[in-house]
Amino acid sequence: MDELTIHDDGSGTLKYAINLSSSRVKVNSILALDSLDGKKVPSIEEIKTKVSLFKKTLSLQNGISNISISENYTDFIFKFECDFTSIDLLQEGLRKTFSITLNDKSILASDFSWLFWDSKVLERSVPSIATNKLNGITENDLSLLKTGTYTSITRFDRGVERFENPLSKLSKDKKALMLRTDTYSLKEKHSLLENTIYLIPN
Amino acid sequence: MQLKNIIFLSFISISTFLSAQKSETLIPKDAVTVFSINNINLLQKISIDELISYEFMEEIHQELFDGSTSGKTLKDAGLDFDQKFNIFYGKLDKCELSGFTFGITNKEQMFSVFDDFEVTPYPNLNGAQVYQSFFNNLIVKDGAALLIRVEPSMELIDQVTDSIWYARGNENPYDYFEEVNEDVLNEEIYDENTQIENSFPDATLDPNEKNYNELRDSVQLVLQREQLDKILIQLFVQNDNLIHLDPRFEAQLTHPVEGIFYMDNARNIDKSSGLWYFQTVLPSLYKNIQELYAGNLILGDLLLKDKSVDFAIEVLYGDKLGSIYTEMNSSQFDKQVLKYIPESSTAYFTYNINLRKAYEKAFEVIMPLLEQEKNAQIAMNVLTIELLNEFVNKDALFGTYKGSMFGSFNGIKKIKTKKIEFFYDEETFEYGEKEAEAEEDMPIFTVGFSIERNDIPEKVLKHLGRLTSKVKNMGNYWCFENAIFDSAPLYMINKNGLFIFTNDQDLALNHALGYGSKSINNVKFKNAKKSGFMYANLDVKTTLNRFPKDLLSPKQNEMIESLRGKSGSLELRSSKTTKEKTSLNLTYSFSGIEQSGKHLLDLINTIYVVSK
Repeated sequence: MDELTIHDDGSGTLKYAINLSSSRVKVNSILALDSLDGKKVPSIEEIKTKVSLFKKTLSLQNGISNISISENYTDFIFKFECDFTSIDLLQEGLRKTFSITLNDKSILASDFSWLFWDSKVLERSVPSIATNKLNGITENDLSLLKTGTYTSITRFDRGVERFENPLSKLSKDKKALMLRTDTYSLKEKHSLLENTIYLIPN
Repeated sequence: MQLKNIIFLSFISISTFLSAQKSETLIPKDAVTVFSINNINLLQKISIDELISYEFMEEIHQELFDGSTSGKTLKDAGLDFDQKFNIFYGKLDKCELSGFTFGITNKEQMFSVFDDFEVTPYPNLNGAQVYQSFFNNLIVKDGAALLIRVEPSMELIDQVTDSIWYARGNENPYDYFEEVNEDVLNEEIYDENTQIENSFPDATLDPNEKNYNELRDSVQLVLQREQLDKILIQLFVQNDNLIHLDPRFEAQLTHPVEGIFYMDNARNIDKSSGLWYFQTVLPSLYKNIQELYAGNLILGDLLLKDKSVDFAIEVLYGDKLGSIYTEMNSSQFDKQVLKYIPESSTAYFTYNINLRKAYEKAFEVIMPLLEQEKNAQIAMNVLTIELLNEFVNKDALFGTYKGSMFGSFNGIKKIKTKKIEFFYDEETFEYGEKEAEAEEDMPIFTVGFSIERNDIPEKVLKHLGRLTSKVKNMGNYWCFENAIFDSAPLYMINKNGLFIFTNDQDLALNHALGYGSKSINNVKFKNAKKSGFMYANLDVKTTLNRFPKDLLSPKQNEMIESLRGKSGSLELRSSKTTKEKTSLNLTYSFSGIEQSGKHLLDLINTIYVVSK
């Protein structure tokens, strides 16, 4: 689930949560292995170290503050939250942080712009780093994706005039939009979460 | 004159026969595992592409996947079907070797398949011609060929490379990366460093001097050549091969069966890297361990029948180990275990040993070896063992764990778990969390142990139940909530002289006293009962094809993968154990229209993966 709040001045808050609690048995059984499909399975300690590196690296990036990450290794729920001063700095900061944390320099060169904001219109898509991961899921695990859901919420200080993705739902106060889909459909069609949102002029 | 001609022709024929190289004489003496297929006519119709997809070909197949084998069978490769096809593997202190040997009738056809090999000049090998490709070596002599791959151990390559690298005055090659990583959190330095190419630093400014990786490659090549030279000189100059080394292998080759198997466990022990501590610190104890393992050998015959492949295995060992095994396996079969294996079970095993007798015999055999050691740590350990032997209540210990056990796999079932659900306010989209019921697939296993003192685990569980609310007495069984992966319950049944662990709710709830008429049928019952210390039965298709690989180690997965997609059933039976040997019989029964040669290869492949 992601929740993006954008204020009129372009600053805002990004929240991201991953909930694997309905696959606790599977996740625990994978964590008990040394390797799977020829790749090393990290220990919980290694995951914690990576998360800590991610947090520390992101905190050094310009325009990003109040980073909070909660890790629940019993139910496997991970929540991330940070404030940002502008969309561009948020995307740039995340790009560098992912590159360093994943030790993958190709991310620096990849298309990491999934948000565009000009104070009247917000364009949203899914970053290629996420879609690439989805493409790598093997046939055996595809059926599990059908039971997963992805929810995307966008909040503004003022009301939404119109939006282009017909799957979106507008909140009662017209200041928030929600999009929901299952993870399998998202893998099949990355554009499901794409949206262009027009705000009521000030 | 005619008589002279006949004598001359006979002489020529005999000489030719005597001088013709047999494929089995090309097996290096360092091979510790060998499969020899006698009747390779069975493999005539199997495509080479299919053959090289087996794991036992993995070390040598890379360059064969280049189109040269496409659409060809072994027959097209110029192989001599009157000779044996031998696959071997060996692990030495300094290297691993693997490969196969075979007869050839048509060299030209053979090189249409092995088309990447080029003639390599080699010192005199008594007429043997050496061909090399990037990975492998092919040696041809008098109608037989050896395809071999030699890989020096990584440890040795690193040792030699480091030694040369530092002797040349170079510094630690890995420092370069450490410096980069330290700076990685500093944004500005990181930006600068992204411009640096991710290549290994040169040793010096002189481009003609090798960097660390280049040096390592050269070392690997030299060590490879050194080991290969040694093996080829043994084989072709000294005529020293596995047949000469071990008459038991030679005798096994004469068996009138489709294939034979040979694995020298005593030499495997010698090369076991896990025993390096004993080798270096306690050499006399290591020698005693070696003596204990002397004569430890596994020999097998592969027999192909109409609808099955039989693998008759003999596990041979020396007197001392034999005396322990004999005591260990002198156990009455516990019929109670069969009550707990349902007819629907697709895989189950029974293991029937007398741990107390084995302990007493092992104490008698092994303690004198340890007592001879003049080492303070060993002496303290001996004293501890002696005291434990005096003070521990062995009646209680071996009454609780007698040694006999059984296990079954009862398919995949949905089990109830808990999950956290995110829910959303439909008007504001504010979200909250709530706990909900969930279902996940889980393989259902049951493992049970024969027990005389069932009061002991009962005491343990009773006290555990007081310590944590997760352990509950449910009358006929105990339940330990969230014991499996912190998600699913584990049930414990303490009945009928058995202590059973299972995640099968149905067994705990409805069959705590056994499955009754729903347990395995009389034929299966008798087969298990008649078998010696071990019996196993597995339906390949319904078990392995749906067995979740997430739950197994890479080695176990490799074994499962080798059988995945196959059909039929596997049955393992053992005979009575004597002081010299234990016999085992593995039967792979199959139905369907697949070629029997393919089934033979399937079984060989599985055994190879297990024995590797």
